[in-house]
Amino acid sequence: MTLSSQGIKRILTGDSALPWLAPLLAMLVVFTIYPLIYNIWLSFHEYAPFRRRLEPVGTDNWQALFSDERFWDSLSVTFTYFGVVLIIQVVLGMAIALLLDSEQKGFGVLRALLTLTLVIPPAITGMMFLLIEDPEFGVLTWLLESLGILDGTQPILATGSTALMGVMLADIWQWTPFMVLIFLAGLRSLPPEPYEAAMLDGASSWQTFRRITLPLMGKVIAVAVLIRGIDLFRIFDYMFVMTSGGPGTSTYTLSLYAWQQTFSFIKWGYGATISLVSLILILVIANLFIWVARVRW
Amino acid sequence: MIVESQARRMTRTLAAYMVVALFVFPLYFWATTAFKNAKDIFNTPPTVWVFEPTLRNFEEVFGISLGFFRQQEVLPGGGNFFMAPRLWDSIVVALGSTLLSVIVATLAGYSLSRMDFRFRHLFVGWVLSTRMMPPVAVAIPMFFIYKDIGLLDTYTGIILIHAVMNLPLAVLLLKSFFDDIPRDIDECAMIDGASRWIIFRRIVLPMARGGVAATAVLCFIFSWTEFIFVLTLTQTGLKTVPVVSSSFVTSTGTAWGNMAALGVAATAPAFLFILLVQKQLVRGLTLGSLKE
Repeated sequence: MTLSSQGIKRILTGDSALPWLAPLLAMLVVFTIYPLIYNIWLSFHEYAPFRRRLEPVGTDNWQALFSDERFWDSLSVTFTYFGVVLIIQVVLGMAIALLLDSEQKGFGVLRALLTLTLVIPPAITGMMFLLIEDPEFGVLTWLLESLGILDGTQPILATGSTALMGVMLADIWQWTPFMVLIFLAGLRSLPPEPYEAAMLDGASSWQTFRRITLPLMGKVIAVAVLIRGIDLFRIFDYMFVMTSGGPGTSTYTLSLYAWQQTFSFIKWGYGATISLVSLILILVIANLFIWVARVRW
Repeated sequence: MIVESQARRMTRTLAAYMVVALFVFPLYFWATTAFKNAKDIFNTPPTVWVFEPTLRNFEEVFGISLGFFRQQEVLPGGGNFFMAPRLWDSIVVALGSTLLSVIVATLAGYSLSRMDFRFRHLFVGWVLSTRMMPPVAVAIPMFFIYKDIGLLDTYTGIILIHAVMNLPLAVLLLKSFFDDIPRDIDECAMIDGASRWIIFRRIVLPMARGGVAATAVLCFIFSWTEFIFVLTLTQTGLKTVPVVSSSFVTSTGTAWGNMAALGVAATAPAFLFILLVQKQLVRGLTLGSLKE
């Protein structure tokens, strides 16, 4: 069956949106709806190693979640990572954006330099920070030791209390510029009038920021938080290359735990169940945020 | 806007340069590691500014002079460092998936921007929701589906999944670029008897050239840097650069120099691309929701 160009023309001539959307619909159904249904089916099955096949197990996988301490640990690591990194990136991003919001010569180059971190594959960023935080010859380790913050007996990424911070650092380095660029664009599109009025009234710069800039930037901040928040909640790459979740469960996120259950421990059904939990949480939280913050596309 | 005093201006400039230097430092350090000997890499305190430059790392990874004859050489410790084929895999996957997403998304973006139909808002919301799905929740079932239909470890399989991953971004972004072009233009052309397809092909698409290019660059970068799908859906047939970077960790230690060489070669082109789309970058990063 071949569609002649005449045929394509005839289909696309009418004012129906369907032919225009058909390729998109087909791809989304095959690659998101079908896997989703398959995943749900998988979560009610488990691989039986001796019989080498999937067998139905009812709701066992879902019930197992409640008594699985590693699952609850990974849930708490995911939320901690999400919350801490998001707050740091918003605050730091805003501070740097305010700093760079100037017409001075040379600042265009500075902004361009900040975009560079965005194109590095996160897995390679992870490797970069693995070297920087290396216990023997890492630059950061050396710096912190000469400042007396670390005493040389605790490798950053192999110590339970600091491993997560070590991973967060890679994320903060790579994605704070994301916030800076978005906030900068927001700051530059603000109307000048309120600022002139504030200056006449003798408002301090903190007051101006608190009462004028922040409220006017509401939408911009909401969009940035939404997009970054989604990525933070499903974080995987950094942990996979830097710590594999360890030491203990200190850097296990939901995504990493689900992946390892499926592919390292051959618990296909259980891994699928955990990935579904993460899917449900992210859809609920993100859509709730869109509704509350009235983000519109 | 507000006139700054000379002193404040100086402080601001100084602070700005220092902050940006802090962000650029890891890049500098990584890039120089690619040109260092093992002696300088494994030094304490770390060698930062002065070192003896070498091209050995690049030669081992890309085999510019030797690679043709030693492609499959396995180095002591069990690592195979010849990465030129992996770079090729990355290029094929990124170009293929970018082309596919951009074609599908221009059609969809145009109709979402121009045609009114029931549930349009719901549809846009659904497209956005697919952007929220955790990759792991797609990668796990896709592994079994691909295994059944034989797409595991193939270019087709990875190109398709990367294209789908980029579709929400591409559709929403292109819709926003089409929204910028006044609907009047379509209506005038329609009164003159032009069909939708002609309007799209001859008038609107050429006007949105810049937007299409920016979308393509972002799709390319996201496919180029993607990790979990390639990790899950390939075995030996193909591997892209991010996934293969862990193969420098061998039983005799990590070959940091070689890894950095691969990293530098793999990110340098992406740097150039992103500098080309600076103007549309913020719109792209926010899926078309914010305009600069």
